[in-house]
Amino acid sequence: MTKNTRTGTDSSQKNRLLDIQDLSIEYRTKRGRLQAVHKASLRVDAGESVAIIGESGCGKTTLATSIVRMLPLNARISHGRILYRRSDDEQTRLDTASERELRTIRWSDIVMMFQTSQSSFNPVARIRTQFLDTAQAHEPNSDPQEILQRSKKLLELVYLDGEAILQAYPHELSGGMKQRTMIALALLLQPKLVILDEPTTALDLITQKKILELLNSLRETLGFSMIFITHDLGIVTQLADRVVTMYAGSVVEDAPSRSFFTSPRHPYSKGLLHAIPKLDAEFEELYSIPGNTPDLVEKIEGCLFAPRCEFALGMCRTTIPSLDEVEQGRKVACHVFGINGKSDKTSSSGGNA
Amino acid sequence: MHDAQMQLTKKSRFSRNLRKLGRALSQDPVGTIGLLILLAIIAMSTLGPLWFPLDEISNPDLILSAPSAEHFLGTDHLGRDIWAQVVSGGRELLVLAFLTASIAVVLGIFLGSFSALIGGKFDEALLFLADVWLTIPRFPLLVVLSGFFRLSSVTLAIVLAILSWAGLYRTIRAEVLSLKTRDFVEVSFMLDMSMLHIIFKEIMPNMMGFIAANFTLLMRAAIYSQVGLVFLGLLPLDQNWGVMINVAWNQGVIYNPSSIWFLLAPTIVICLLILSLVWISRSLEEIFNPGLQK
Amino acid sequence: MKREFVIFLIKKLAKVLFTVWVVTTLIFFLIRLMPSNPIQQYVQNLVVQYGMTYEEASARASSLFSIDLDANVFSQYIRYLQQAARLDFGTSFLSPGVQVSEIIAARLPWTLFTVGSGLLLSFIVGTVLGAIAAYRRESWYEPIISGVSSFLSAIPDFLIAIFLILFFGVFTWGGRGSIIPIFQLRGNFSPGATIGWNWEFIGSVLDHAMVPILTYFFSQIGIWVLLMKGSTAGCLNADYATIARARGLRPGKILGSYIGRNAMLPIVTEFAMRLGFIIGGSLIIEQLFVYQGIGLELLKATSNRDYPLMQGIFLIMTVAIVLSNLLAEILYGVLDLRIRAKGGSRHA
Repeated sequence: MTKNTRTGTDSSQKNRLLDIQDLSIEYRTKRGRLQAVHKASLRVDAGESVAIIGESGCGKTTLATSIVRMLPLNARISHGRILYRRSDDEQTRLDTASERELRTIRWSDIVMMFQTSQSSFNPVARIRTQFLDTAQAHEPNSDPQEILQRSKKLLELVYLDGEAILQAYPHELSGGMKQRTMIALALLLQPKLVILDEPTTALDLITQKKILELLNSLRETLGFSMIFITHDLGIVTQLADRVVTMYAGSVVEDAPSRSFFTSPRHPYSKGLLHAIPKLDAEFEELYSIPGNTPDLVEKIEGCLFAPRCEFALGMCRTTIPSLDEVEQGRKVACHVFGINGKSDKTSSSGGNA
Repeated sequence: MHDAQMQLTKKSRFSRNLRKLGRALSQDPVGTIGLLILLAIIAMSTLGPLWFPLDEISNPDLILSAPSAEHFLGTDHLGRDIWAQVVSGGRELLVLAFLTASIAVVLGIFLGSFSALIGGKFDEALLFLADVWLTIPRFPLLVVLSGFFRLSSVTLAIVLAILSWAGLYRTIRAEVLSLKTRDFVEVSFMLDMSMLHIIFKEIMPNMMGFIAANFTLLMRAAIYSQVGLVFLGLLPLDQNWGVMINVAWNQGVIYNPSSIWFLLAPTIVICLLILSLVWISRSLEEIFNPGLQK
Repeated sequence: MKREFVIFLIKKLAKVLFTVWVVTTLIFFLIRLMPSNPIQQYVQNLVVQYGMTYEEASARASSLFSIDLDANVFSQYIRYLQQAARLDFGTSFLSPGVQVSEIIAARLPWTLFTVGSGLLLSFIVGTVLGAIAAYRRESWYEPIISGVSSFLSAIPDFLIAIFLILFFGVFTWGGRGSIIPIFQLRGNFSPGATIGWNWEFIGSVLDHAMVPILTYFFSQIGIWVLLMKGSTAGCLNADYATIARARGLRPGKILGSYIGRNAMLPIVTEFAMRLGFIIGGSLIIEQLFVYQGIGLELLKATSNRDYPLMQGIFLIMTVAIVLSNLLAEILYGVLDLRIRAKGGSRHA
């Protein structure tokens, strides 16, 4: 068993903004305990953009929501830690932080942007009031005029008429305008990390493109880190530095964007990419990964993907593979294609099963 | 062929509704209690008088006496047993409430359905009329009417039913309007079925729960009006809980604590009756419209 | 946007005027077409009992009713409308020479005072409790709040009055007499007090109004709690509430400015609507408390067959309801301009 000891230069401690370690989250349901997230680990460095992909119900939203601890009442973090680097010498444990402390972190450090809907804003208050509320919740003594100036500038950054938007009521804005206003609001307190849940679903393609370009340019200008959740692989290519694949509550692959798309390792990732229809393909039936996602209430032995995996071995059904680093900056949780298995590209591998 | 199919769907729909009813009632404690109370009151009012006949003659020795073994709730100002009066006071009330609700429901269904189905100017006019009608306070109107008419119990039921048309009309019209756009109604229109047929065979079965819930509420309104009028002495009725309250009040029973049951008993039993109706209507609403306000 | 609103207002006002006109007409013809035509009866009475001639009796009736009995129905009707517009409802039968409008003016404030206070108090307490019940759904006291409210909202108001009278005025607690002396549960104020703005009078007014107001309070509060609970619960699930929390806002702020203001909207319009209806409910309650308000006056008028008075009071009640409905519609229109996206009409 040869482990790749040259793990390369880990990003220096100071760069690591968010460190989720072995996080497990379960829901209490009528049918029993549902394991929504199982021993998931994820790291985000300063300035990095990470995409979390996976099908519905794979736990990506649960994982993201748990960072700011806004899970529903019947959810519980049963294992693991979430470490957030607040400043150069201060690291906070978000999983155990008090509600009061979390309130200071939410939005001013970490922004959790839920899917923007028709009622994302308070219907009875003007937009300016909502910007003011947000700023004053964190900086109670700041000057309202100054806040409004800042807001106007941010709105202009997202190509909106600052003055008009601030004066308006939410129902006077279109869907796209609300989305952009929400982005401006997200950046009001200069957060270090922005988490976006399905940022472009429900938008038409043209607005989608604009928003993506916007996010990229904002990231360049303002330098925040980004986690975004999506099931649309198209926007991953445009936005992400790294891609994290989740399946049935576990992280199965964690790779730089380019490597992910050119040579996915985990069978599930392969399946996902294979399922993308190609423009120049022949007229044939679309590929979809056979089988169904497992019932997360039942206790399952071994790799959760094994029942659907064409490469599954005996041990896949008995032991859960761990998420190991197979090469620099790339992790896979698989017995066959992971650290102990054979690599896709070369025939030689260092490992014995 | 079509008829047979329709028959099948109608029957299964009915038994399906019935089974739904049974299942839901068992899961809903409040509704079940309400139903039990209502049944108990009905039983008491129909069968009770057989075992507890009214004291016809007054008994001067026992005026306003406290509860005893012989007279469970004591006696009234004429020495007559109160419990017997309670037992026999409900029958008229229940019958009249039922009658009122029935007439009102029929009126509401016809007017509401016709209005919704016909649409156009007729519908507009009727809706406007209903709006205007709803602003007239019902109870004061009853009081004023009683100043002109001699109201008897049956006429009261009819008058009350007519006066309540606007509310039910509006709700049924809304329901029918929402059902109108559903496929099975449009198909019926296309197949050129008569209006009556559409109303009874197609639309109503889908509104049964809704109608049932409204029925109980109408009964409640009828009871309120009846008891109110009787208490105010505007409705000459014989054996009735409202009469008991009226007489008890006018006899100054509140100054004589030992015979307080003369006043309290009918009050409590009316409360129980109305509560049971309200609980039943709420659980009926839940059954046919689950998760309204969760 | 302003112009839309003005048109909206005008349409509503037109409807109000039309409704009032319909009701006044209804009352007019009610009297004329009744089997026991009160006017004719009155004339008969005068002829039979006082030996007047038909002309004298008619003249008398004319002046009392402020109508011209000889003229045809239509001109009578016009005259009637003209007078109603001037708030001249004729003079009372029973108290000849006293204008109906005077009587109404004397009695109406009392009813408005008790009914209005009860309504206001139950609204304030009810909405607060309702918001709490929705917000603290998991707590132990929530089922109690909801259960009691549900219970109270079902019981007829006059039965609540009877219970309260028994509780406060009749039952002796600890053998030391009732909580409130029984004579305080009758009348508007103590018989001996001199009317005027002095403490003794005001004190006795409050004493006597206490239990009636409490009756209106208890009969309404259930509804407000349940309505507010439903409205707030709906808002709690709204996206803007979740996002407000994600923005780090304090719970107090969220409950107040975000959830509270949104939840209140349908409730406020409901409040405006109820203003009118409660006046109708005052009939029996004022009878129970012998409270000299407009409700009791209507009852007295009915039993005395004082038709002008009955007519006038009934009209006033209906107008009150119409006006409060108008207020509710206007309120809704104003609020709706701001929250148009929220959708959903008030009516079915």
